[in-house]
Amino acid sequence: MAHPETLDRLVRRVAAQVRRRRIEHYALRGAFWASLVAVLALLFKQPLGGWALIVAVAALAVGTLGGALWGAVRRTPTADAARLADRAWQLEDRVATALEWAERPDRTPIVDALVADTVARVEQLEARMAARRVIPSDGRLLPIPLALALALALAPALPLPSGRLPDFSASGSEDPIEPRADATLMEDRAKPLAKDKLKSPAFEERDFATRAGGSGGAMAGDLSAIFKDTNLSSQRPDFQSFLKKGDDRLKLLEQADRLPDLQSDFTASQYKMVYRKSKSLTSGLRPDQISPQKLKELLEEMERLGRKGGANWQGDAAEGMEAMEGGQTDRAMEAMQRALDKMRAQDEASRSGKNLKGGRESNRSGIGRDRRGGDGGGPEDQDFGEGEGLLPGKGRSGSPKGEATGRLRASPYDVGVEGESRRGRKEGYDTNLTGKGGQMGSRLQYLGVIGQYRKMMEDAIARESVPRDFHSQIKDYFQALDER
Amino acid sequence: MTQDARVQDFVASFEVLRAEVEKVIVGHREIINHVLIGMFAGGHVLLEGVPGLGKTLLIKTLAEGLELSFSRIQFTPDLMPADIIGTNIIVEDADGRKHFQFQQGPIFAHILLADEINRATPKTQSALLEGMQESAVTVGGVSRPLPGPFFVLATQNPIEMEGTYPLPEAQLDRFLFKLRVRYPALEELNAIIDRTTQAHPVTVDRVMSGARVMAFRELIREVPIAAHVRDLASTVIMATHPAWEHAPEVARRFIRYGASPRGAQALVLGSKVRALAEGRFNVSVDDLRALAAPALRHRIILNFEGEAEGIDIDVLIGQIVESAEAATVQGKEPFLR
Repeated sequence: MAHPETLDRLVRRVAAQVRRRRIEHYALRGAFWASLVAVLALLFKQPLGGWALIVAVAALAVGTLGGALWGAVRRTPTADAARLADRAWQLEDRVATALEWAERPDRTPIVDALVADTVARVEQLEARMAARRVIPSDGRLLPIPLALALALALAPALPLPSGRLPDFSASGSEDPIEPRADATLMEDRAKPLAKDKLKSPAFEERDFATRAGGSGGAMAGDLSAIFKDTNLSSQRPDFQSFLKKGDDRLKLLEQADRLPDLQSDFTASQYKMVYRKSKSLTSGLRPDQISPQKLKELLEEMERLGRKGGANWQGDAAEGMEAMEGGQTDRAMEAMQRALDKMRAQDEASRSGKNLKGGRESNRSGIGRDRRGGDGGGPEDQDFGEGEGLLPGKGRSGSPKGEATGRLRASPYDVGVEGESRRGRKEGYDTNLTGKGGQMGSRLQYLGVIGQYRKMMEDAIARESVPRDFHSQIKDYFQALDER
Repeated sequence: MTQDARVQDFVASFEVLRAEVEKVIVGHREIINHVLIGMFAGGHVLLEGVPGLGKTLLIKTLAEGLELSFSRIQFTPDLMPADIIGTNIIVEDADGRKHFQFQQGPIFAHILLADEINRATPKTQSALLEGMQESAVTVGGVSRPLPGPFFVLATQNPIEMEGTYPLPEAQLDRFLFKLRVRYPALEELNAIIDRTTQAHPVTVDRVMSGARVMAFRELIREVPIAAHVRDLASTVIMATHPAWEHAPEVARRFIRYGASPRGAQALVLGSKVRALAEGRFNVSVDDLRALAAPALRHRIILNFEGEAEGIDIDVLIGQIVESAEAATVQGKEPFLR
């Protein structure tokens, strides 16, 4: 195998060129930063005197030489120099490959041919610089601090600020201090001023309503003028329109009587609680399938409630209990039903100020708010549709507040999906919201639209040029929605 | 024979074979080069182009220039795997006894032209998988080796997608190169007209045997590659993966799945053939640059954004190679490090 001595020489030559270029490169960088130091020293020529010039020259020399030294001592790996040679003479990585493979124990026979070929080519190369000169960016700016340093060196010393505060002692004599008056006089003078300052804001606030519609320039103390000075003015054209258009909170304040009566909440009613228990007891079961133990417990609770409140269903509950003890379940059920009716009547009578009629839903035909016509579920279901409640102005058409709107979960198949932003990283195709919106529940009638959207999706896939790979992904997404 | 002489022999044979193909095929010099590189590298080549550009003719001409058996399968939707591989048939011997005998399918040839491969069902397409990877097929529990060299050249039409079955990624990965056959230039079209409408058809001489092809394949694997060139190949492959921490922005933005390690093998092996075909004994960075697109374009899957933006995969690969070069030592001045 031809010894790659020629290649070694080439690499050493290139490494020397690299070192030379490095010396230039880092000397320029050092000179730039040193020249800044020189400018700084020359700025202090006045206090430093002759030392300023010496320091500037010394800094320049040290910086330049230090940079050059730094460039000279850095090593150039052989592989780097070989690659540089390959690029400089268009040797197509021959030198680097030959040098690397020549010493490898697993070299193939063709490596000998490679080394021989590379040596032959290298011997025919003309000597020139392989490493190009790279001027650093700060080196390009070197003339600026150099020129500045030269100008400062030639110019007279710049006067420097003393660092002391200006002396106002001379002007103090123009405004002689008056002899101090007695304390009573000062107090008399100060009081009216303080009074005026305190008075004006309160006065303005009272005055605000009358000025609101007025035109003309803003008067001193006018709230609208204050508003114009705040950042709210950038959100609304003026204060009046802010009041007119206002946000929803202002509107809510105007409709205080429409706010829900939280005290008559569903769960706050004793009747509701007993009703719920009775419903859970009887739902889906025939009277002969009702557990006597459960029925007894319920009747006991009804009697206890009636005893506590002196209600009129106490007798019915007691009768039911007697029937239970006598083993007459049917009679006990009838007594419980009567007691429940009385409880309901009493409960609704307690809401008499809200224009609600007592009795059962079936007794209020023509004024019921239930537009489904009672075809689904029993009267119990109509009375207490989940999520509908008995809030004032909300459930009965006789209310002066108008008809109730179509509410979520009005249909047993319409389940509201409470949207919830999932944790973790959000992918691009994830529709979950982030931020504030992600914390709010979705009020969309989910089952009402998902089928429609799925059909739209399938139409879109068939019609639009959706990449084939994404068909299954899109369908999977909708499938996942369906399963939630 | 010295190594130098072996290499020169390869260079000369490569040139002669290319000249024979170019007797028939006008233009497409790069395509011909890449087909030959694929053959000598021991891989298979997929040619994609609109009808009438000479894909099938190129393969037939190449087969004519080699002293190798050739078979052609026209892929259709009703083609069955047994139509490709072969099947056991009942034969009767001289004594009147019946027994099963394997009837070889067209896959048992040195050069197999799978014309319009995407017209067959995936089941039939996959019949080629084992043969392409292992150079053997299994029928009735018996593995039967295919003749060497075994070289599959498949064609597909990129525009007629109706009634086609796009090749699955697993099968695409089996192809060393995917070549895009482009429309000829005006001068080339004139030459095609002159050459194909004359009275005497062009004949192609058989210039290379299968044994020589196999010998050249061994030689090619001896070509050395420098560490920094190999590093660049690996970096290019890794840079096609959007999840890689050093992946360039274009890869993160437009790529769904990157190239497999087979892509790196294809890139380096193809580069070795290219280097040797140019009379060079080593792989250079230029070889990687030249073969990055054919070796990787079928191994990279664009994401939705890439598809929607109409990103040209070749341009994307070029940008990835550039960024990989800049990321490795290749793109930096050595004295700045």
